[in-house]
Amino acid sequence: MSVLQIKRRQEPLFIWGSCLIFLGAIVLSLGISSLLLLIQDRPPIQGLVLLFQGAFGSRWALEDCLVKAIPIFLCSLGVAIAFRLQVWNIGAEGQFALGAVGATWIALNFGTLPAPLLIPLMLATAGIFGGLWGLIPAVLKTRLRTNEIITTLMLNYIAILILDYLVYGPWKDPVSFGFPMTEVFSDSAIVGSIGATRINWGLLLCVVFGVMVWVFLRFTRLGYELKASGENINAARYARLPYERLVWLVMILSGALAGSAGFLEASASLNRLQPSIMVGYGYTAIVVAWLARLNPLYIGIASYLLAGLRVGVEHIQLDLQVPAAFGGIMEGLILLTLLAGSFFNHYRLVIRRAP
Amino acid sequence: MTPSSPLIRLESIRKTYGPVVANDNISLDFSAGKITALLGENGAGKSTLMSILAGRTQPDSGRIMIDGELQKKFSTQAAINAGIGMVYQHFQLVEAMTVAENIYLGRHDRFWLSPKRMIREATELGQRFGLQIDPSARVDSLSMGEKQRVEILKLLQRECRILIFDEPTAVLTPQEGEQLFEAMKFMAAQEKAVVFISHKLSEVMAVADDIAILRKGAIVDDIAASEVTSEADLARRMVGRDVLLHVDRTPLEPKQVFLETDGLGDAVLKDIRITLRQGEILGIVGVAGNGQKQLVETICGLRPPETGRVRILGLEWNDFFRNMPWDAALSYIPEDRQGLATCLGLDLVDNVLLTTRQGFTTGPWLNRGKAEQKTRELVGQFSIRTPGTGTTAARLSGGNLQKMVLAREFYRRPRVIVAEQPTQGLDIGAMEEVWTILLKARERAGILLVTGDLKEAITLCDRIAVMFEGRIVDEFSTEDSEKLAQIGLMMAGVPSGRDGLSSLS
Repeated sequence: MSVLQIKRRQEPLFIWGSCLIFLGAIVLSLGISSLLLLIQDRPPIQGLVLLFQGAFGSRWALEDCLVKAIPIFLCSLGVAIAFRLQVWNIGAEGQFALGAVGATWIALNFGTLPAPLLIPLMLATAGIFGGLWGLIPAVLKTRLRTNEIITTLMLNYIAILILDYLVYGPWKDPVSFGFPMTEVFSDSAIVGSIGATRINWGLLLCVVFGVMVWVFLRFTRLGYELKASGENINAARYARLPYERLVWLVMILSGALAGSAGFLEASASLNRLQPSIMVGYGYTAIVVAWLARLNPLYIGIASYLLAGLRVGVEHIQLDLQVPAAFGGIMEGLILLTLLAGSFFNHYRLVIRRAP
Repeated sequence: MTPSSPLIRLESIRKTYGPVVANDNISLDFSAGKITALLGENGAGKSTLMSILAGRTQPDSGRIMIDGELQKKFSTQAAINAGIGMVYQHFQLVEAMTVAENIYLGRHDRFWLSPKRMIREATELGQRFGLQIDPSARVDSLSMGEKQRVEILKLLQRECRILIFDEPTAVLTPQEGEQLFEAMKFMAAQEKAVVFISHKLSEVMAVADDIAILRKGAIVDDIAASEVTSEADLARRMVGRDVLLHVDRTPLEPKQVFLETDGLGDAVLKDIRITLRQGEILGIVGVAGNGQKQLVETICGLRPPETGRVRILGLEWNDFFRNMPWDAALSYIPEDRQGLATCLGLDLVDNVLLTTRQGFTTGPWLNRGKAEQKTRELVGQFSIRTPGTGTTAARLSGGNLQKMVLAREFYRRPRVIVAEQPTQGLDIGAMEEVWTILLKARERAGILLVTGDLKEAITLCDRIAVMFEGRIVDEFSTEDSEKLAQIGLMMAGVPSGRDGLSSLS
């Protein structure tokens, strides 16, 4: 009888090995996806072709991907900072919602201010709202030793309910025929598009924030302290790193970035606040952060690819009539196969004959 | 008990690591129905011998016979087949599972598990060997003594014939220790061979039939317990009268007091009073687990003192640690290099920055270029063997990692140094280097040297304080040869004095 054994690799795999694993994982997840299509009596090859065409096959599609990649990128940048410290912020979704609420509050109450004043004010408020929403689980974690995975996740539901309450109640547009939505923001509260494209100026914000985070993590002492504490919490204690304050800091930054994404979605994409703003960017952001190994540049690339997946799946959904959940399933499959694949970076399987 | 041929016979076992001879010409028998104690100081070669018995390490030469049969290659599998089982100091249990589940973990004989049957069998097994325990209790709810019983039952379940205990009482209370000794005798009575590794003299005297004493990798004595006249006799056989490694230590004139504790106490520590001056090395010796860890953590600011006070460089504990500067203050060289002193996943520059980051900071910015240059200097200065400063700490060997920690900590030019087992795992060359560095550092600093290696303590220290059960039982100058002769006994908790020690002087 043969026995399958797991052996630790003496040396981690080289780059090409990791690339091979990455490609293998993608192929495997696409393979399983085609099987799922087959089970539903849909042509799998055509499905995959449609997926790619829908995502990257036209200028319209490429632009659409970029528009969707913006909020994913900002949320992902945020969670990546927290993950650096091994603080598992699953709450980007809620922090995104609170950011949208904060920005909307400013837009509805100070809509008459000129844009150069109003837009930064909305951004700042969104950041503060999101950041404070992130600070809650941070304080709970450091003071009461709660598990941040649970608290951030639960706070997502609360945040979404707050948003719902506002658009169904106090902020509901009186002329919306009963639909839960605020009135359209004034022109000065709307972030416009770049030139003739449909891409909004939020893209610029992504570049600015991306560079800032990269600089922060790489060149500042705080960035170093995050990395070291995340690597070994005992060493952090030994080296007298201010762990508690670091947790607070990363959760505020993390929440503020997700909040800024909420502001952009409300202002640039929807021009108002409505429940359909919540489409799960905050959860996709977690997948992206992991795929990108927490590196800001890779986060940019991965955000774009996963946005493409979303757009592409919408395409199959229309053409082949598959359920909307199919996109979520594919996203999950890609993450699962990649995480399973990363196991082979450090271990190998050996088949050994039993004695 | 009938004297039969030994279960295991070791013949002329030799094992070297580079220039270090860990085991030299070791011949030993382990027989069924007997408790054999392996006695020796830290670094005497006990662990290597144990690792050879477990099949994890292959000896360079020598023969291993099981039931009189020569073993060609003694692998871990061969050790398991021979019925050899180890009880390690660190328990290898699944905390979230029950006692019975842990005992039967890794049994491949059937596919379906029957919890009822496991519990029944575990109960029977416990009764047979006098190791009572509730088989349905979760392991994380057990005391250390009970966990150890689970470890033993795991081995008995596998029908091990040779049980090897590695310092089993280090984690036990005295009562639990007594119970363990009863169980060991019970197992011996049922024809198991029991091997007991220890450096606690009284325990060895109490429980062993045969005593093998290891010193510098060789068996210096292999005697029946009845031949040992007293603990003092045993202490002399264990420590011996070896020539010390040669380093020049001319005593310096002690200057101002840098560290002072008074009435320091908590759950473990009892009324600790020590004074450390610039220019001297104070050794803290004792068997591991007698409060050294708590004392060090308190002095190094990792746990606040519960009662009593600690003054460092003229400041109270609170004031000192609130704004401790990175340099010219306190350096801690911990025993746990990999878990505490370094981040194994980060490169050498990042590891140097760990405690020196304030020195490379301008405003919010970290000057990594400067840190890298300094790291390269330190690597050269301390001859750390590494491909480069961008290598992760995990790739460094134990000795080189220790040198990196020392390099970093001395770069801080500390005034108080707490060094815990600083030469553990280093080869003799590196050991001498570290000793020389420490002796040089005391010109500026006061050094607290916590060590289990008596030779090291005697070579380096001006004064030695012996810890036992959270107290400092005695403190004396290393010039005091009469006291030095009694260290082994003090560590074992025997009160110092002239009675019963006439054979030593």
